[in-house]
Amino acid sequence: MQSRWDIGEPEAPTINKETEQLKSELLTLNMGPQHPATHGVLRIEIWTDSEIVAHAIPHLGYLHRCMEKHSENMDYRGVIPYVDRLDYLAAMNMEWGYVMAVEKMLGTEVPRRAELLRIVTAELQRIASHLMAFGTYAIDLGAFSPFLYAFDMREKILRIFEEVSGARLLYNYIWIGGLWNDYTDDQITRVSAFCDEMLVEAQKYHELLSMNKIFIERTANVGVFSLQDCFDYGATGPILRGSGYKWDLRKNKPYSLYSEFDFDVPVGTGEIGQPGDCWNRYIVRMREVVESVKIIRQAIAKLEPGSVMGKVPKIIKLPKGEVYVRSECPRGELGIHLVSQGESKVPYRLKVKSPCFTHVSMLPRVAPGQMIADFVATVGSIDIVLGEVDR
Amino acid sequence: MHNELVDLINKNVPGASATLNAAPDAKSDSTISVDANSIFKVVQFLRDNTTMPFNALQCISGVDYLDYMEVCYVLGHFDVNAPRDLILKVKVTDRVNGNLDSVVSVYPAANFQEREVFDMFGIRFNNHPDLRRILCPDDWQGWPLRKDYVAQKYYADMEVYPDGKMNFEDREFIVRQDMIKKAQLAAAKN
Amino acid sequence: MTFGLACCAIEMMATGASKYDLERFGCGAFMATPRRSDLMIVAGTVTLKMASRVKVLYEQMAEPKYVISMGSCANKGGPYWQWGYHVLNGVDEVVPVDVYVPGCPPRPESLIEGVMTLQKKIANERLLRNKWVKHA
Repeated sequence: MQSRWDIGEPEAPTINKETEQLKSELLTLNMGPQHPATHGVLRIEIWTDSEIVAHAIPHLGYLHRCMEKHSENMDYRGVIPYVDRLDYLAAMNMEWGYVMAVEKMLGTEVPRRAELLRIVTAELQRIASHLMAFGTYAIDLGAFSPFLYAFDMREKILRIFEEVSGARLLYNYIWIGGLWNDYTDDQITRVSAFCDEMLVEAQKYHELLSMNKIFIERTANVGVFSLQDCFDYGATGPILRGSGYKWDLRKNKPYSLYSEFDFDVPVGTGEIGQPGDCWNRYIVRMREVVESVKIIRQAIAKLEPGSVMGKVPKIIKLPKGEVYVRSECPRGELGIHLVSQGESKVPYRLKVKSPCFTHVSMLPRVAPGQMIADFVATVGSIDIVLGEVDR
Repeated sequence: MHNELVDLINKNVPGASATLNAAPDAKSDSTISVDANSIFKVVQFLRDNTTMPFNALQCISGVDYLDYMEVCYVLGHFDVNAPRDLILKVKVTDRVNGNLDSVVSVYPAANFQEREVFDMFGIRFNNHPDLRRILCPDDWQGWPLRKDYVAQKYYADMEVYPDGKMNFEDREFIVRQDMIKKAQLAAAKN
Repeated sequence: MTFGLACCAIEMMATGASKYDLERFGCGAFMATPRRSDLMIVAGTVTLKMASRVKVLYEQMAEPKYVISMGSCANKGGPYWQWGYHVLNGVDEVVPVDVYVPGCPPRPESLIEGVMTLQKKIANERLLRNKWVKHA
């Protein structure tokens, strides 16, 4: 059976009779590991025929920090900072995924206020992450100013996080059983003020970039991931939704309190370009920002005073067994496979299924036939964070 | 769901000998173990059947239990009406030449995932199109996520574990040493 | 030079962006190539696989060249110092470092101070580095 993965040897370019002597062969280009358009230390080996990419081979591991080995030597609370550093742009969502896995095995009840505040925090982080994606994607395509606007708003979120958790980027805030710290009323007011501001800004971003003629020319109909490819490669998150499939864990397999919330799942509809291209993936992210604002407002309305820390034993020892817990992160679904042998303070095995890892494996599939500049746009549109890919 | 699946696999894939590892309570997940030689057929059947299909492979993870290694295939069905997950397990007993059939031709997602399992546990996958190390450098020695892993001393003139880096009185370090000893004893028995 | 390796790269970008604006202090024109840059900010964990590339990039930079090691990982391995079989124990094993900026990740203010420290260091440089040694 011909495997669908195998793209085969690239065909030699057709040669005219006049230019028969001018035989061409494929040129190997090396993109990265230090390259401004690869969002970190991704290295891609590209075989090109003049401007056309014939083959793209991602090489990973330049940021392999042995996180899974570390987690086998830390106690359950000690792993949280390492989980933070996986996806450093969405640290809160990562923590939450891991903490949910431990809580499931421990059978902890999390107080309602803590759950609501976790939702507020995670959605704020989702906005921050999507803003970052927006800014860096614009840089990839040669527009610098959206980056400054995006960071302006992102700093406001970080300011709130800093007051709440004490850190700007890597928080260690969501703990097993609840939260490290409570939001004060003043901070809650500022979160809602931020939400109002964000809606206005989001409109501005659409005028600034989304509907920009040059931007549309660069992204529409470029790097199309078909729906079948998405399922074959296990793509999730904005990639799957950008291809037009309405799938969101928060809606379809609700965890935490998400079933109580009313929000839409934006999908790529192909109003510009076609579903699955770079523009649709981008617009899904920008629309998710608005949905996140909706969720935050509802969560704030539901807040009641109370404790933010449940009852957790001082030394956490999990029963024998294993869980696979999925949660929706800004880049896709995070899966935590946690194995415990019982009678131990350390996890026996912690496997992190990172969304970007699967998305990077899709690159060889879409690359053949693209221009090099379009390939850069494609890499940017899947919004990779290498910390999570290499772990 | 798991009981029906076990029946379904046993009925349709001869030699799979699927068994259910039921979870005692809601705190952990039930899993299904199948025979290592039939993993390709089982995965192919799970994707193609009509009663309970799984349209995506989410991840492949390995676990080292010292006397044997286990590879977990986490399948998922991304369907709005009936979302479901499944952890499918196979045992690999041979620590030196352990190998499995690759499922890349069923789910292309398995390509990178299998490479990672190979990189971390040293389990080889037959018929894999491009089985190389993925995270560690190509000339790295040893399989890092095995419990009895001892890092090489030098890599390209750089010290991997410089002296003074290890805290030899550390509790976790002692646990680790015990594990290595156990694994060496188990290897000596085999 | 934009040399974002890991988490610290985000803080480095934040330093260059609107709120902190590194360009006020006479630097921060991030170049994408080593040939046009004279300062390398190593922002993030240096792994063994990456170390040789760091070295090559450093060699490609034109003299005079300076290195800022940003964050605990680049300084001495950071949180990965103990079990990180694949993490280099400090970038100073590969390239000479002028200024170390601690923190995990350092705040943008820390990085700005690091840059200003380097500026002071450069200002105090003498033409003859050591008059007793004859350079070849």
